[in-house]
Amino acid sequence: MSAYYYFFKMRILTTLAYRFEVFTAVASNAVMLLATVFLWKAAYRGIGSVQEVSQHQMIVYAILSVVMGAVLSVNVQDDMYYRVREGHIATDFIKPVQLLGMFLAEDLGTTVSALVNRAVPLILLASILFTPPLPVSLTAFLLFVPSLMLSFLLLWLMGAIVGMISFWVLELGNLGIVKDAIVRILSGSLIPIWFFPDWMGTVSAYLPFQYMYQTPLSIYIGKITHSQAGTALAIQAAWIAVLAFIAYAVWQRAKRVTLIQGG
Amino acid sequence: MIELSNVVKEYTVIKKKSGLSGSIKSLFKPEKTIVRGVDGISFRIEKGEMVGYLGPNGAGKSTTIKMLTGILHPTSGTVRIGGISPQENRKSVVKQLGVVFGQRTQLYWDLRLGESFELLKRIYRIDEETYQSNLEMMYEVLGIDQLINTPVRQLSLGQRMKGDLAAAMLHSPSILFLDEPTIGLDVEAKQNIRSFIREMNAKRGTTIILTTHDLDDVEQLCKRLIVINHGKVVEDGPLSELILRMAPYRLLVLDLSEMPDPQTLHHHGAELIKQEGLKLTYRFHKSDISASELISGLSAKLSVVDLGVKEPDIEDMIREMYRSSSTA
Repeated sequence: MSAYYYFFKMRILTTLAYRFEVFTAVASNAVMLLATVFLWKAAYRGIGSVQEVSQHQMIVYAILSVVMGAVLSVNVQDDMYYRVREGHIATDFIKPVQLLGMFLAEDLGTTVSALVNRAVPLILLASILFTPPLPVSLTAFLLFVPSLMLSFLLLWLMGAIVGMISFWVLELGNLGIVKDAIVRILSGSLIPIWFFPDWMGTVSAYLPFQYMYQTPLSIYIGKITHSQAGTALAIQAAWIAVLAFIAYAVWQRAKRVTLIQGG
Repeated sequence: MIELSNVVKEYTVIKKKSGLSGSIKSLFKPEKTIVRGVDGISFRIEKGEMVGYLGPNGAGKSTTIKMLTGILHPTSGTVRIGGISPQENRKSVVKQLGVVFGQRTQLYWDLRLGESFELLKRIYRIDEETYQSNLEMMYEVLGIDQLINTPVRQLSLGQRMKGDLAAAMLHSPSILFLDEPTIGLDVEAKQNIRSFIREMNAKRGTTIILTTHDLDDVEQLCKRLIVINHGKVVEDGPLSELILRMAPYRLLVLDLSEMPDPQTLHHHGAELIKQEGLKLTYRFHKSDISASELISGLSAKLSVVDLGVKEPDIEDMIREMYRSSSTA
């Protein structure tokens, strides 16, 4: 356990060492923040609410979605691809640790440091320019926190599964981009699924994506009521179980086909 | 201790055709060929041995090391380290192994060297006392105490290699795999690293398996050689025995002051293989005649100004092994 904690700690230290990267990341997220909030302001002009969601709720949703995107750091997909491609995976395999555990600890490290150096400046910026993105109630916030954690695990497992494909194909390239685009659209991080046609909502309910962003955000703004939140959390947990099982099965096979690049 | 029997590793290589039409064909119907990187290798290495694992580029050396360390899975055959399969029980096997890949580092690029060591301490669950005493020893043998606060990315290649060696030995492994540990280093750094390897073997009884293209490494470190080519073992035995068998002769080179009488050139214990003006080269077998006997015999008949005895060239010997196994 303490080795994974050290991976976690070291990642926090490394992330804090790159100040310039933090600055550029916050800047690009700030652009996204401005763009989405202005978009929703324009879309809601003259409309009171859509599907019982007011303009204010939608703006809080948009702000928090950008913050979530900046904080929840899932590098496992790119890390794995890079380490396999460059052959560094060899030095990982000679250590008596679970590789997936190591990647998870590192991503958690990045996420925790992002809470400080990304979430705080973005929330401050949003509060000054628009409105403080407050939760609908304290209970909503207390339900949002575990839901957010489950979201992180869902995103992480999805990234890990796609990353593992690099053990088979050395050019992961576009597959990663396609997956990221699918997550972006179907998770409701850009536009909530309730704006899409009904059939898409039905399909989406049976896919894991909307539980990555839309679920915690809906709890936060009160679109999912307290009594519905329990079910939402349970669905998130169930998807985690499914994805964890897939990740484990793929990993067992991936290890057997390891190719080491560069001698 | 280490046992490989009939280990085979096959790769699927997709043959890319040239040209546009070739690329399109490859996209839809790739032509796959199976290549045997390692083709039925068997050997056994006992505890405390220092073995040179040699072969030309692409012979399958690194692939073997990667199967021994559990990174790669053999297509067939078995690998056992201390009776355990590194593929099935990777974590428990790699605990006893130290591995250094000369061409890549296991240290953390962005962190101080000391922090990488701290991490390894936790990964291998090294207790504080062992950790401190091992660290002391590394400071002493490798002289890296000055570097401990330097970020790894700022280390020179030689310093980084010392760091990697220390990192591989911190958990007191019983087996140390060194994959080209002196690649790209200057003469002094090479010597430091060789004396470190010798010391680990002598003081701790660490089994050492070394792949290298540097024949000085081989001469100075390895008591036994395993030579492979095209994925097969071509030679396996003590270095001295291999030399005796492959290159049992020595050369005596004489410089004369005047042209000799051709009658006097003959000696019963040696063969004259070259005569260039006043320079004569004799070849003789160690077992037939001693150098001093030959020298005194010849200098009685010839006016010798200068002489030199050449030991068999290990480089020639290895080249000969590679060559003969390639044509076979």
